[in-house]
Amino acid sequence: MIQLLNVTKVYPNGVCALNDLTVKIDKGEFVFLVGPSGAGKSTFIKLLIREELPTKGQILVAGKNIMRLRKSEVAKHRRNVGIVFQDFRLLADRTVFENVAFAMEVLEYSKKEIKAKVPTVLEMVGLDGKGDYFPHQLSGGEQQRVAIARAIVNGPRLLIADEPTGNLDPDTAWGIMELLNNINIRGTTIVMATHARNIVNKMRKRVIALEHGRLVRDEAEGGYGYES
Amino acid sequence: MKVRTVGYFFKQAFKSMWRNGWMGVAAVTTVAITLLIVGIFTLLVFNADYIATDLESDVEIVAYMDVDASRNEVLQVGEQIKAIKGVAEVKLVTKEEGLETLNKRFGRNYDLLSSLGGVNPLPDLYRIKAESPEDVETVAKTLQQVAHVDKVDYGKEVVDKLFAVIRWVRFMGAGIVLLLALGAIFLVATTIRLTVFARRKEIQIMKYIGATDWFIRWPFFIEGMVLGFIGALVAGVVLYFTYDFVATNIRFNLTFIPLISDMTLVMKILGSLLVAGTLVGALGSLISVRRFLQV
Repeated sequence: MIQLLNVTKVYPNGVCALNDLTVKIDKGEFVFLVGPSGAGKSTFIKLLIREELPTKGQILVAGKNIMRLRKSEVAKHRRNVGIVFQDFRLLADRTVFENVAFAMEVLEYSKKEIKAKVPTVLEMVGLDGKGDYFPHQLSGGEQQRVAIARAIVNGPRLLIADEPTGNLDPDTAWGIMELLNNINIRGTTIVMATHARNIVNKMRKRVIALEHGRLVRDEAEGGYGYES
Repeated sequence: MKVRTVGYFFKQAFKSMWRNGWMGVAAVTTVAITLLIVGIFTLLVFNADYIATDLESDVEIVAYMDVDASRNEVLQVGEQIKAIKGVAEVKLVTKEEGLETLNKRFGRNYDLLSSLGGVNPLPDLYRIKAESPEDVETVAKTLQQVAHVDKVDYGKEVVDKLFAVIRWVRFMGAGIVLLLALGAIFLVATTIRLTVFARRKEIQIMKYIGATDWFIRWPFFIEGMVLGFIGALVAGVVLYFTYDFVATNIRFNLTFIPLISDMTLVMKILGSLLVAGTLVGALGSLISVRRFLQV
């Protein structure tokens, strides 16, 4: 699903965010991306959605070399990749339904298709009947569910989550993790950057640890590490 | 692109205008005021041109014949003059006519001829009008080469001065109009940037979801064009009625100033203003969205 070959990323200001990183993630995997702040997690994610280009190396996502994409192909590439952020990034002036429908409108689905699809996705993320609420009327966990619904409504093969539980209390965070796990079981590959030690330790998924832009650990059923 | 997508673009554009109502009013006002000034200047330039042309067309060349040239020779010269390129009108004033004019000037019953001893000292002369003021000088020079022409006279200094003024008015007018148009584009860009800025989050999310740049641009593009068009319309309506009022008043009170009264020309200027307004709006919105598409 994802292949990084000797990827190095140096920002224009001289900061080396990733240093000769080689990683392979298979289809259907659930991968935690851990490491201290500034280890290169965000850059890793930005490379996957081609917000940034690597300075050196090759990146393949879903069998495509995403470095050679033209502008219009970048848009197409992103349609195959759902993304969830720590701060939800919902549109405050739109209802839950409209927020999710927005993702479909952008891809030119018809109203009929949108009306049919959105409620089923909302039901799947556990927001049945909350379509008419505005984001500020929801709890943090519910807002993140809306964001997840928006990310998966177009059926991406890869879901990237950048600290999705960072703003949530532990119980709520677990709800979100269950949801992500369900999505993973349905066949979507998930890459999740996180600082949540408990979650990583309990889930026993593959863990990729970065430090100073280098791969320091890659365990199949790993823990968070950094026990100190 | 699907038809319903076009509908979506328009819906989004009008929604955004509704949501950012005051911003829209600001943009429309900006365009309206700027284009109003542009329009006023355009009309001034056109009218200055018109007045100048009116004055220019009064410039006359006078060609004096040799005093001893026979009437036949003079008539022949007349034909020659008519053949000169750039000559629009030729009028012969014979020495008898000239004398009569002089007589009239001296008094009703004055007999100038007898006091001159029975010999008319005046030459025959041709009054010539050039097709266009630019031709005056060349025509005058050509006339000097014609046989039996004694002296050619035209208001060289007046003509030259007039030209200088017209050139200056045209040049300054064009410069000012251009500067104002540029100013308008940037003002609209700034105003629309505010509405774009208010929606930068939305743009970012659209980019992450996989919307193409043009998909994101179109609603802003439409919004800009509509705002520009409305602004131009306001400017146009104000300009039309103001000009109509001013021109009518001047025509009645200051009759010696010739003004363009042909409203089709004014309508043409207004049409250009509408096109310009729409373009300014479109360009302004494109400039503002550009920066936010870099995700």
